[in-house]
Amino acid sequence: MSNATLAPAAPRIRLFQSPALRRFLRHRLAVIGTITILTMVLLVVIGPWLMPFEPTSTNIRNRFLPPFDSTHLLGTDPLGRDTLTRLLHAGRISLAVGFAVMILSMAIGIFVGTVAGFYGGALGAALMRFVDAMLCFPPIFLLLAISALINPSVISIIILISAASWMEIARVVEAQVRSLKERDYTVAAEALGARDRRIILREILPNAVAPIVVAATLNVANAILAESYISFLGFGVQPPTPSWGNMLQDAQGYLRSAPWLAIIPGIAITLAVTSFNFIGDGLRDALDPRMENR
Amino acid sequence: MTRFLIGRLGQSLLLLWIVSVVGFAILHLAPGGPMSQFAESGNMTQADMDRMAEQLGLNRPLPVQYAQWLTNIVAGDWGVSYRDQQPVLRIIFSHLGATFELMLTSTVIAIFIGVWVGVLGAVWRYSLFDSVATIFAMVALSIPTFWFGLVVIWYFSIELGWLPAGSRMTPGDGSFANRFHHLIGPALVLALVSTAIWSRYMRSSMLDVINQDYIRTARSKGISEWRILTRHALRNALLPMITILGLQLPNLLSGALVTETVFSWPGMGRLFLDSINYRDYPTVMGILMFTAILVLIGNLIADILYGLADPRIGGRAR
Amino acid sequence: MTVSKSIESMQFASIGRRALLGASVGVCALIGANMLFAQTPPETPTGQVVVGLSQEPTAFNPLMAGIEVDETIWMQIYSPLWYSGPDGTLLPELAAEIPITENGGISQDGLTWTVRLRDDVTWHDGTPFTAEDVKFSLELINNPDFRAGNRMGHELIEEITVTNPHEITWTMREPYAPYLALLAATYMVPRHIIEAADDPHTALATAPVGTGPFTWGARASGDSITLNANEDFFGDGPYLERAIFRYIPEQTALYAQFRSGQLDATIGSGIPANYFAEAQDLPGLVVEAVANPSLEIVMPNLEHPALQDVAVRRALFSAIDSEAIIEAIYYDLHRPNVSFAPRESWAYNDALAPHVFDIDEANRLLDEAGWEMGAANVREKDGVRLAFDISTTTGNALREQAQQLMIETWRAIGAQVSINNMPAAVIWGDFYRLSQFDTLLVGTAFRTGMDPDPSNRFLSTAIPAQGGAGANYMQWQNTEADALLQEGIVTFDMDRRREIYHRLQEIARDELPIIPIYQYQLVEGRKEGLEGYVPNINARHNSWNMREWYWAQD
Repeated sequence: MSNATLAPAAPRIRLFQSPALRRFLRHRLAVIGTITILTMVLLVVIGPWLMPFEPTSTNIRNRFLPPFDSTHLLGTDPLGRDTLTRLLHAGRISLAVGFAVMILSMAIGIFVGTVAGFYGGALGAALMRFVDAMLCFPPIFLLLAISALINPSVISIIILISAASWMEIARVVEAQVRSLKERDYTVAAEALGARDRRIILREILPNAVAPIVVAATLNVANAILAESYISFLGFGVQPPTPSWGNMLQDAQGYLRSAPWLAIIPGIAITLAVTSFNFIGDGLRDALDPRMENR
Repeated sequence: MTRFLIGRLGQSLLLLWIVSVVGFAILHLAPGGPMSQFAESGNMTQADMDRMAEQLGLNRPLPVQYAQWLTNIVAGDWGVSYRDQQPVLRIIFSHLGATFELMLTSTVIAIFIGVWVGVLGAVWRYSLFDSVATIFAMVALSIPTFWFGLVVIWYFSIELGWLPAGSRMTPGDGSFANRFHHLIGPALVLALVSTAIWSRYMRSSMLDVINQDYIRTARSKGISEWRILTRHALRNALLPMITILGLQLPNLLSGALVTETVFSWPGMGRLFLDSINYRDYPTVMGILMFTAILVLIGNLIADILYGLADPRIGGRAR
Repeated sequence: MTVSKSIESMQFASIGRRALLGASVGVCALIGANMLFAQTPPETPTGQVVVGLSQEPTAFNPLMAGIEVDETIWMQIYSPLWYSGPDGTLLPELAAEIPITENGGISQDGLTWTVRLRDDVTWHDGTPFTAEDVKFSLELINNPDFRAGNRMGHELIEEITVTNPHEITWTMREPYAPYLALLAATYMVPRHIIEAADDPHTALATAPVGTGPFTWGARASGDSITLNANEDFFGDGPYLERAIFRYIPEQTALYAQFRSGQLDATIGSGIPANYFAEAQDLPGLVVEAVANPSLEIVMPNLEHPALQDVAVRRALFSAIDSEAIIEAIYYDLHRPNVSFAPRESWAYNDALAPHVFDIDEANRLLDEAGWEMGAANVREKDGVRLAFDISTTTGNALREQAQQLMIETWRAIGAQVSINNMPAAVIWGDFYRLSQFDTLLVGTAFRTGMDPDPSNRFLSTAIPAQGGAGANYMQWQNTEADALLQEGIVTFDMDRRREIYHRLQEIARDELPIIPIYQYQLVEGRKEGLEGYVPNINARHNSWNMREWYWAQD
């Protein structure tokens, strides 16, 4: 299942003319969250081009400069690198990890959920029991164990966070598909001899979009948090590439002497994750059909 | 009900088996092994390490090792830790107390605060209180716990000196006051997140209920708002919470790995991390099976409780 | 430790450890202006000490595999035949005297050893300690069914005879000079307990019984271990009623607990360098840097196509700004050392050419050796690019900073280096032992126990990746070094051994099979008033003389 299959879904629920958008826009926090994320994306995409510093060039004489005190707007780290430059580059990595994990775990989750829900039977049962079993593992075990299998890099971190976070989506999708399958239009399409793939892509998935979109948004938030946890446990993105998680990890030893080193990436993570959570909350309200009559 | 339970039991055993296969495979296929930590110092020769791996049976084919492990655990033998040569179950039980103490405290705090914040947020929907509570909950869910824990230690233990910087008690003390003092920091850090979760669940559950017809009917009959809230709405809104409590049960015993690490709390989470880092295969497998069993029991209890509390659903939930 | 060196130890031994300690306390008294007279230990064991550890002791059978912190507990519970003092002299413990050639303890050919034992020692359960226990312990190590941690030296033993309850004799297949030092870290176990147990591996796991100054109290798994004074201890002390070792995995929390007085002392690698300066100013606490035999090195894989060229290794060495690493990242805690031997070792060669950070010199070396600047500013020679990975354990922030500084300066000489760090359990597995790395940034020691013999690390027959059984992971092969190492093992004359190891250090300094950066110092701290702490570079942990610790009386 590729991401492209989601595209024709949008017009189906008529997001842009629907009351859903109006409800979303009424959700002030969700709007604030959206604006924050858009601003962050813009900053990390454009920002590094505007910065006069390189994220990896060290200058040991200029280490631990405090913020707002020199040409280094947010100060420098223990190797004298510009904190703002690193924060922006790190944002690219962390946000990219968040989005990539979302896409990858969506793909796995939707595929497994759809197959299990649509075909049911032994295959469906086997798939869902596997999902249940994976949910029995503490997420941290999956993260630690898989990170031991592959050398830490941005790609491998995306893979391992996805591997630990697709199960909830599979469950949501499976439940949706199973109930949608019994509905009139699916039954009708089936009676008309439509092929499975067509029924799944054209009839069932578009109608399951609402819970999937909500889950996807929260997935980004969790992936960004997971990246910082992995870094804390020492399995994160390799230096010298900065990520918000490893910036936070590096700052631990300087909580007293240079607290801003920990506070700045901590705020960045919290801000990004909160915004995604707000958006998810707003989407849930906006896309929930029960909200119509409230 | 009996048939339901037997079916569930069969299903649970199947799940446990899948968990054991996947866990065993991931654990043993990961590079490195129990000998790694001895290699770093350079004091042991390769011959010593090869001999020990041979004696521990680590050189046998994986399926053989798995079959051996499975046979043992079915017979009730959970194995002996490579790390401290003690039976795995004994090690697990020696860590349960600390985790239970911490998780129970934080869960009680979280339920107490979370339920009320959620109820009031639903009743006064879109009010200032609701907005502030929502923002707080969302931020709490978004803060990396380890970072928050370190900030708590740094500020309350180092700067202010109010709280001890981790550990469960002062050696040789162990009085209630002393334990309580050590509990405050980690319990509050953990409660922060779970309060947010509970308040969100409670809010949406309460919203569902107060929009139902019978509440409107009650309201139209002129029954007081407070009475509607406590007599009708709250009781019904708490029903789904029982399910969530059941699902939370395993967490009470499996612990919070990150918080336990930051606060040097000698619980299950910490044991798990140490055992993974050491590649103490028997202990890691033991903890995996133990938590999986807890998850299954938690699910079962949630279903049964829900069935009992709401007869309309019957015994075949989910 | 050699036979002739042991003669000095005999003299020290007759003075006794308490006198030695009294002397050092006396020196403190002279320095500390507020101390008018030296403190004396209490008559009966008094008070308790809580020591913070960053790793958890879990292995309590001293003959099985253990890491440094495990030995911390072994030192208190069990006793070796003898042990090493801070100056390297051997001090008898269970033995009545150190066996040397002069007193007939070791035969002229080095093959027959005779050890006389103390006759006033009992195990913690009251059973008398005899030569049978020593025989049992040595035989257990060589028992094929027993998971012994280390058989180096022991496997050379051919036959053990108990001549009387307090004397034991054994013969060895070949002379092995480092064995005296290895026995200083070999703790004796109780025969009567292990023989009675079903499984020798678990016999001492929950309630260890030894002959040491402290008896087993209790263990809270994952948290702490409590030991009690052994009132019947045959030696001096203990002066503390209780010793508690507490495990605190998180460095910030460990430091915070020490700072706030929850810990009485922190020993070992507890306080990271970045807290060193701040910690020294803390009121009521004594914090100091103590020497450690470990060396921080870049370990090159000598089978790597670029790194096998000695010119490349010399250039990389020149282009490491060791001074900046020590000063800026480690706050001047560590000390430069270009040898593989610690500066405190009697075999240390202090005449080696010092390290000079010189990018131009490094570039000149590479130009001369035919490494030409290629695409993307990376040098090449015969189709081989000067590009490799550097790996270390993940999660060590200071080391990662050092890596990044090295990469920067190495880029300036046309070397393209990437960081590839891994979790400890992975990196020290096959990756390390089968030499699958390019280069490793590692802190390690090149000696056998406290003996300067590095043959386990340097012999060409000790390369596991090539079927050897040692720990020569860089795969160094040098005929002259091999010959020197072989001679050093069987030579009991200390002056000759010193010559051998001096020459070996010259070869290593020239060929750079390891690229040295610095020698470690650890930050250890204790509360004021805790007397008796003496760092000992020849012990694996500075709680080695905890029996002599005591609280000053007001």
